[in-house]
Amino acid sequence: MFRQSLAVTLINLKSIPQRPGMSIATIISVALVVGVLLGFSAMANGFRATVQGTGSQDVAIFLRSGAQAELNSGLSRDEVRLIEEAPGLARDSGGEAIASAELYVIVDGTKRSSGTDANIPLRGVGEDAALLRQNFELVEGRMFAPGSNDLVVGRSVQREFSGFEMGEEIRLGNNNWQIVGVFSTGGTVFDSEIWADLGVIQNLYNRGSGVQTVRARLENPDAIERVRAYAENEPRLNLDVQAEQAYYASQAGATSDLIMYLGWPLSIAMAIGAFAGAWNTLYSSVDRRTREIATLRAIGFSGFPAFVGTMAEALMLSAIGGLVGAAAVYLLFNGVSASTLGGSFTQIVFSFAVTPSAIIAGIVMALVIGFLGGLVPAIRAARVPILAVHAD
Amino acid sequence: MNRATLVRKSLFRKKVRAILLILSIAIAFFIFGALGAFYKAFNSGVEVAAADRLVTVNKINFTVTMPLAYQARVAQVEGVRNVSHASWFGGYYQEPQNFVQTFAVDPETYLIAYDELTLPPEQREAFLTDRTCLAAGRALANQYGWSLGDRIPLLSNIWQQQDGSSAWDFTICAIFDADDDAVPTNYAIFHYDYFNETLAFNRDQLGWLIVSTTDPALNAEVSQAIDALFANSPAETETTTEAAFTQAFLEQIGNIGLILTSVIGAAFATILMIVGTTMVLAVDERTKEIAVMKTLGFTAPSIFAMTLGEVFLLSLLGGLIGLGLAWTLVSLAAESLAGFIPGLGISLDIALIALALMVGLALLTGLLPAMRAMNVQISTALGKL
Amino acid sequence: MTEDLRQDTLYQLDHVSKSYTRGKERVDIFTDLTMQIGRGEFIAIMGPSGSGKTTILNLLGGIDRPSAGEIAFKGQRIDNLGQGKLATWRAHNVGFIFQFYNLMPTLTAIENVELPLLLLKMSGKERRRRAETALDIVGIADRAGHKPRQLSGGQQQRVAIARAIVADPAVLMCDEPTGDLDRESANSVLETLQLLNTELGKTIVMVTHDPAAASFAKKELHLDKGRFVEREALA
Repeated sequence: MFRQSLAVTLINLKSIPQRPGMSIATIISVALVVGVLLGFSAMANGFRATVQGTGSQDVAIFLRSGAQAELNSGLSRDEVRLIEEAPGLARDSGGEAIASAELYVIVDGTKRSSGTDANIPLRGVGEDAALLRQNFELVEGRMFAPGSNDLVVGRSVQREFSGFEMGEEIRLGNNNWQIVGVFSTGGTVFDSEIWADLGVIQNLYNRGSGVQTVRARLENPDAIERVRAYAENEPRLNLDVQAEQAYYASQAGATSDLIMYLGWPLSIAMAIGAFAGAWNTLYSSVDRRTREIATLRAIGFSGFPAFVGTMAEALMLSAIGGLVGAAAVYLLFNGVSASTLGGSFTQIVFSFAVTPSAIIAGIVMALVIGFLGGLVPAIRAARVPILAVHAD
Repeated sequence: MNRATLVRKSLFRKKVRAILLILSIAIAFFIFGALGAFYKAFNSGVEVAAADRLVTVNKINFTVTMPLAYQARVAQVEGVRNVSHASWFGGYYQEPQNFVQTFAVDPETYLIAYDELTLPPEQREAFLTDRTCLAAGRALANQYGWSLGDRIPLLSNIWQQQDGSSAWDFTICAIFDADDDAVPTNYAIFHYDYFNETLAFNRDQLGWLIVSTTDPALNAEVSQAIDALFANSPAETETTTEAAFTQAFLEQIGNIGLILTSVIGAAFATILMIVGTTMVLAVDERTKEIAVMKTLGFTAPSIFAMTLGEVFLLSLLGGLIGLGLAWTLVSLAAESLAGFIPGLGISLDIALIALALMVGLALLTGLLPAMRAMNVQISTALGKL
Repeated sequence: MTEDLRQDTLYQLDHVSKSYTRGKERVDIFTDLTMQIGRGEFIAIMGPSGSGKTTILNLLGGIDRPSAGEIAFKGQRIDNLGQGKLATWRAHNVGFIFQFYNLMPTLTAIENVELPLLLLKMSGKERRRRAETALDIVGIADRAGHKPRQLSGGQQQRVAIARAIVADPAVLMCDEPTGDLDRESANSVLETLQLLNTELGKTIVMVTHDPAAASFAKKELHLDKGRFVEREALA
């Protein structure tokens, strides 16, 4: 049986070039389905990887209760002081908490891709800010000098927005800034920010001594509970305390889910279209080989090899389609930079990420299309009557 | 029997094949109709923007506030008919997930600026006089089941009152509609004064100005005049038309248009190939029949027309079924999504574009097979009579 | 060559030549053929394969045009008509009967018969009535609603004959009409043709290589190397 099937399969596959039009149409339609699916998941995965990769477990972020996002939050100088006294925070040799009170405002940057203005966070930070971001490194230049109009720019900002070149002067609102450094945090949300001295931002934007958030290093990830208990029992504090990682994870969900809520139904709908194409192609393949199949039956082959042969053709075409689609998306989109409005109402720059698991999902989808599209024609092939040898 | 019967019968010669083709065409048009409706609703803010309406925001960014006094100063600019202002409240109802788009506005001028909003005279009067009134849009009121007279607290995730509370109490004294379905009513407005006087911080600041000009032709001049007014001040401004402002905001989300066009393009590329190759095959299969028809006296042009007619029938059947499915889905979704995406529906122009696509699809996939059918040589195809 | 002088002549062929180019080679099927076919004739054309039997049928049926010479039908030249006019001429004047019936597989028997009437100006009702009559004449009215694959070969050929006569053409072109039938069905089909010739006055040109079939004709023509050898039917 196996040798029969193998022989018929080979005959089948060798005959594919005799039907170039329909075979190519099937391959391309499957490729397009897989392409759409992978395109959406590359977008969703890229966005999620950026946002979920942001924040560490041992950094706590303090927001005013109910604020939900940094932009909405507001903390006074007194509150900051109380937060810094919390137990469970890591301290330096001088006994000071490793903490950064931060304030950010949204400024307009010009997107390279469209030339339109989009929101960029301008974050005023303290000295410890860099210590509180994993993998922080200055790629170029130096940190800002306290009290100056120096700016350091995230690498992604530089990539997506124009006017942020090293050494340039840039006007944001009605202030001029000097770009003195470029930093990277390894592709996290912070790469989509620009940083300046906290005092300068407070001053320029009339915020007095108020800030929005405090980030502080925890002694260990579990210490968050002690910090939270402290904040709840302190009547002068009205805070939400979260691990930074959890904060960003909650911000990633909505957008990437939305992308996939769009991506899956669309690719499934298109898959039904491609399924129709595969079915047609194989049906006509069986039609044209009716006499050949009947001849094989006449000389002693059973129906099963005809089934296997047709199914092999179906799976072969759809697998090629799946690979073509995956390869095209990988070559065209993988690593392509894009940005969208994130949870904090500012642009988050991310890179399309074609992940191995998404490729596998795409290929599986292609094979499912091939299997379902080939099933009925294959059964029909298996049932070709021997008398069809005389078919027209 | 007539020629139409002939066309229909030859299309459905292989039923499974015809149904599969119709199915794949229907899906492409379903995708087109559904995505088109969503995209149009998504962009409706640009379309419903009044031509004479300008938006003035802080030049730093539209989320940055500016002094309340700006309203009176802009009102002095020549060519300005009405100036209103609004501030983002960041409201939610009971739970942070229950997001409520709420603006603190200058009531009288706001209703002049947005004259497409309609509400009964007594409700208008109530809204203008009652400082704790919340005027809710119809879609929003439906979403939360609010009705006139309800007393509801709204919480802000940004603002605080002097007593540290983030909740403001309101009475719903007006529910407004719009004179056009595409105009959103999924938000609420209330008195700026009520908001401002209770604020713990950032008092006497407004979010943005809504400026109506006396003539859209003056828009550019007025914009420049307003921005010049505040040049070199701590809060410089940027004034654009409402349409441009909305467009720029949508572009921040990303090039949605490009993404959707690519998907629709992929769907149509698929059916173009599937339908095109299948129709060529279908015609090749019946070369002999075509030769017989020609022998009987059917002329080449009429064979061409009938073959093309078959592809038109296929395309229209599939297209209309797909559009019908999209219409059904969108109608079902419109109600439950009214709060998020107002004005969702398959509009006439989407239907017309779809119709044009059906014709285009039929021509693209039908011309080649129809030519092949037309050029069938009787003697070659039949071999002998 | 006025109409009244030639009223008995249906076809007049003058110095007709037909040649094909096959590759670089020029193949002459026949040269300088002159002949008449009278109204009401029933001619069987016989001859070996490649003798040009089908070619002459194609020329008479207006499917093909001569390389040289003139062909007139009822005194009107048809050899110089364009493809479109020729098609319309066929629809009005010629009925075709094929060896493999060539019915439309998607249409029922009566619809197949109705098919040529779509080319004439006629109401749907009238078409249906005439199709029914034609089926009646060939004796297969009871199978009107059947699809071709539900019919036997003989029945299919009867439907094909009904289709050929439904537009009331003056002449029927038959190419091996019994080539695919058993003897009994063949005889019955030939009897029907004979009846159409004698009762309805249809002129019939039939190509066959079956002498038994040819014997039903009034006249047999033997085609050999592009020349006709005339012989009156024995029967």
